[in-house]
Amino acid sequence: MNGLVKDLTGLIGESKVLFQPEDLLAYANDATHYFRTQPPDAVVLPTSTEEISRVLSYAYEHYIPVTPRGAGSGLSGGATPVKGGIVVDTKRMNRIVEIDRANMTATVEGGVVLQNFHRAVEKTGLFYPPDPQSMSVCTMGANVATRAGGPRGVKYGTTGNYVTGLEVVLPDGSVIKTGGKFVKQSVGYDLTRLMTGSEGTLGIITKVHVRLLTLPPETRTMVVVCESLDQAAEIVSEIIARGAVPSMMEFMIKLAVTVMNTFVFPPLPTDGEAYLLMEIDGTAAQVEHDAETIKAICRDMKAREIREVEDERVARVYWKARSAMYPFIMTIFKRAITEDITVPRSRIPDLVRAIQEIAASVGIMIGLAGHAGDGNMHPTVLQSEINEEIAAKAKQAIDMLVRRGLELGGTISGEHGIGIHKQEYLDWELDQVQIDLMKRIKAAFDPRGIMNPGKIWVEGGQQ
Amino acid sequence: MLKLENYQEIINKCSHCSYCQATCPVYLEDLLESHVARNRLNLINQVLILRTMPVSQRFREILDRCLLCTNCTQTCSSKVPVDEIIIAARAEVGKGTLGGLKGFVMSKMLKQRGLTGLMSKAGSLAQKIGVAREMPQLASKSFDQIYSGTIPAQGEQRGRVAYFVGCGTNFLYPDTGVAVVEVLTRNGWEVVIPDGQVCCGIPVIAEGDLAAAREMVTANLKVFDLDSVEAVITDCTSCGMMMKEKFSKLLDADDPLQEKAQALAGKIFEVTDFLQQKGLSETPPALDKTFTYHVPCHRGWSPTVADAPRNLLGSLPGAELRELEEPERCCGAAGTFFMQQRELSESIRSHRLEQIEASQADTVITQCPVCRFYLSAGLTSQQVTHPVILLAQAYGTVQP
Repeated sequence: MNGLVKDLTGLIGESKVLFQPEDLLAYANDATHYFRTQPPDAVVLPTSTEEISRVLSYAYEHYIPVTPRGAGSGLSGGATPVKGGIVVDTKRMNRIVEIDRANMTATVEGGVVLQNFHRAVEKTGLFYPPDPQSMSVCTMGANVATRAGGPRGVKYGTTGNYVTGLEVVLPDGSVIKTGGKFVKQSVGYDLTRLMTGSEGTLGIITKVHVRLLTLPPETRTMVVVCESLDQAAEIVSEIIARGAVPSMMEFMIKLAVTVMNTFVFPPLPTDGEAYLLMEIDGTAAQVEHDAETIKAICRDMKAREIREVEDERVARVYWKARSAMYPFIMTIFKRAITEDITVPRSRIPDLVRAIQEIAASVGIMIGLAGHAGDGNMHPTVLQSEINEEIAAKAKQAIDMLVRRGLELGGTISGEHGIGIHKQEYLDWELDQVQIDLMKRIKAAFDPRGIMNPGKIWVEGGQQ
Repeated sequence: MLKLENYQEIINKCSHCSYCQATCPVYLEDLLESHVARNRLNLINQVLILRTMPVSQRFREILDRCLLCTNCTQTCSSKVPVDEIIIAARAEVGKGTLGGLKGFVMSKMLKQRGLTGLMSKAGSLAQKIGVAREMPQLASKSFDQIYSGTIPAQGEQRGRVAYFVGCGTNFLYPDTGVAVVEVLTRNGWEVVIPDGQVCCGIPVIAEGDLAAAREMVTANLKVFDLDSVEAVITDCTSCGMMMKEKFSKLLDADDPLQEKAQALAGKIFEVTDFLQQKGLSETPPALDKTFTYHVPCHRGWSPTVADAPRNLLGSLPGAELRELEEPERCCGAAGTFFMQQRELSESIRSHRLEQIEASQADTVITQCPVCRFYLSAGLTSQQVTHPVILLAQAYGTVQP
C-alpha cells in the first residue's frame, strides 16, 4: 500500500478506497474508451459530503489531481482521469433526501440514479422531465455537472432548467450551499447556474435541489414516415411553429430505424427516408387536440405515413429502443462517435443537408438521429474498421460538422459537454475574451488546478 | 467450444455505454465499477487476450463474483454474451477439473442418476463441515423413482413430447415433475421420459469445467429421439437456456452431434411456455390463490417464457396476481453461487424478500428450482412453488 492509499484509508476507511490495478482499470474510462487516459492512482467511494470534503482538502494540500465521477456514461470523456490522481466515485451517495409535494421540489444526493428518481417522483404524481438517454444508470449530480438533457428538451428544457440549489464541495474541501428549495432568488451571483455545466472542474456536486411539475395524465406516441430528410426537417419546424409542441420529437434516418427494428416488435415501417418518433403529453383533451393538429400538418405536407401507436407497451418498447440507439449502432460498427451539435430549430433542414454532403465528400458513413424538436442533432460518425486512415476521415468529418453547425448559428455541444472530446473546438465557438474570463473563474475556485484537470480547454487551461 | 479466442471480436462489440449497471445484481450491491460487465470484459481482454496484466488474485475474485445471471446481456444493445465470456475466462484460468467434495458432486453425481442416497449423504456432509448453512434437502423419493418411461395422454391425444427432467426437479422438487406430467397428459400430450438423462451441465460450466459439460451434453443428446416428438419440455429455465443456447456451443463445430444439438434447440420449451403457445384443451375451473411471480434470470432464451405463467394463471377465476415491484430482479441464488458467496447472495436476496413481503401475496411462483429453494429459505410465511404446480392444483389433480 503506498502513501496515498494509506492516507486516503486513514481519511475515509479501508472499504472505501480502491488501489489494485484491476479496479483502477475500471475507472480509467467512461463511455468514450478511445481517448488517451491515465488510470487513477486511487479511487475513493465516499458516502457523505464530509468524506468528500476530507478527500478534497487532502488532495488540495498535496496538489493531487481529482476526477469526479458518476456512472461513467458520459460521451465527452469528462469523467476520465487524464493525469492520474484520485477518482471520486459519487455513486454511493444515492439517497433521495426528500420529495416535497407541497412545494413541488425534491432534494437528492449527487449519486442518485436518474431513473430511480423518476420512479420515486412519479409515484407521488409529480414529474421531473430531464431525460438524458443514459437515465437507467446516470446520476443526478453528474447530470447537473454536464447540463444533461434528452428528448423532452423540446418541451421541457434540460437539467439546468430544474436545478434550484446545490451543495458543492470546493477544491480546498470547503462546502458551500447555493440556492435552495425556493424557486426564485436574487442574492449575489448565481453560483447554482455557474456550477451547472462546470464538468467537475470547479468542485464536486454532493446535493441537488430541483423543482418538479405535475405528471401529465396522458401520453400518446406517433410515428411519421417521411419521403425525405428535408421533408422531415420541414415538418418539425411547422409543428413547432403551429404550437403543438410534442414532449418528445425524435428524428431518425432509415439506418437508425433499421437498426432499431432488430430489437423491437412490432417493427417500425422502413419505407421512408426519414422518421419522426413523437410523444404528445397533457390532459386527454390536449393530447387529442395536439394529435389532430400534428396529423393535419403531416397530411398537408404529404408525409408518407402517420401511425399512432395505440398499445402503450409497444410505445414504451420504441422509446426504450430509441434510448439505446448509441449502443445499438455498435452491433454493426466497430466505432461510433456521437456528436451533439445544436442549431436554431429553423436551421435543421440546412444541418441535415450539410451532414449528408459532409458524409459524401469525406467518404465516411454518418448515422443521424437527434432531438429534432430542440435543434439538437446527433450525427454519429461510423467506423467499420479501426485504422489510421478511417480515423483521419472521422476526424475530418467531425471538424466539418462542427464548423458547419457554428456557421448555422449553432453550438458545438447541446448536452454532452466539452470534456476531452470537444476541447479543441472550444475557441471555434467562444472568443478569447470569454475563454480567458472562464479561466479566471476557474482559478478563483481552484487556484491549484486539481479539479478534473485536462478538461474543457486544451492543456494549460487550469493554471 | 466456449473458448476465449472465439470471443475476441465480440468483446470489442461492447460500446462501454455502462447500461449494464442498471441490471447487474452484484454491481447494484456494492456499486463497484470493477464488478459490472463492461469492466469485467475490459479486464478479461487486458489479462487473458492482450496479456498486458497478470492473472492475479483480484482478477480471479472479479471473475468469481459473477452470478452468470445474464441480466447484463439481456440489457445489452450489442447483445455481448457476457456469461459465455466469463465462463471461457474461468475455463482458461481454472485449467483443470474441480477437486474436493464439490468436485465429487459435480463430476460424478450429476453425471449419473440413481445415486440419490449417496447424494443426500454428501449434502448432509456439506452441512456438517460448514460448506453451506442453507443447503437444499433432498426429496425422500426422487422423480425418477415416481415416473419413468412413457405416460399416455388423457383423453384424445394431441401429440407427443419428451420431458427433460432437470436435477432440481429430480432430486429436490419431484412435485414439479409430477405436476408437469399431470398437466401435460391432461392436455392431451403423451409424455416420454427418456432413460439415461443427466444434468444439463450448467453447474459445471459455471466452474469453467467445459470437458465435464461436454460429456453431459453428449450423454443427454444421445438419449433423445427428436424425430418422434413435437417438443422437448423442461420445467427449469436454466436447463432450457442450456439446451437452447449452450449445447451446440459446448460441442466442437464438427462434432457429429452438432446437428442434433441444433435440432434440440429448436424443440426445447419451458412447460408453461409450451402450454401457453399450444393452448389449454380445457381451462381449469378456478384457482383460489393470491400469488406473485419471481421471473427467473435465465429467461432470455425465450421471448414468451416470462409471460406464460402470467397468462395461464393470472386470469383464472379466484386467482390474483400481484406483480413484484421489479418482477425480473435476481434473488442471488444462481446455482451454487449462494454457497460460495454467502454474504453477497444474502444481501442480493434481502431486497427480493422485501419486495415479496410488500406484494402481500401468500404464494410465490418461479420456474427455477434454485430460486425456489433460496427464496423459500429466506421466507417465513409464504410458499414458493412452480407455476405448473398451481396449474395442476387448479385442475384439481394435485392437492394444495
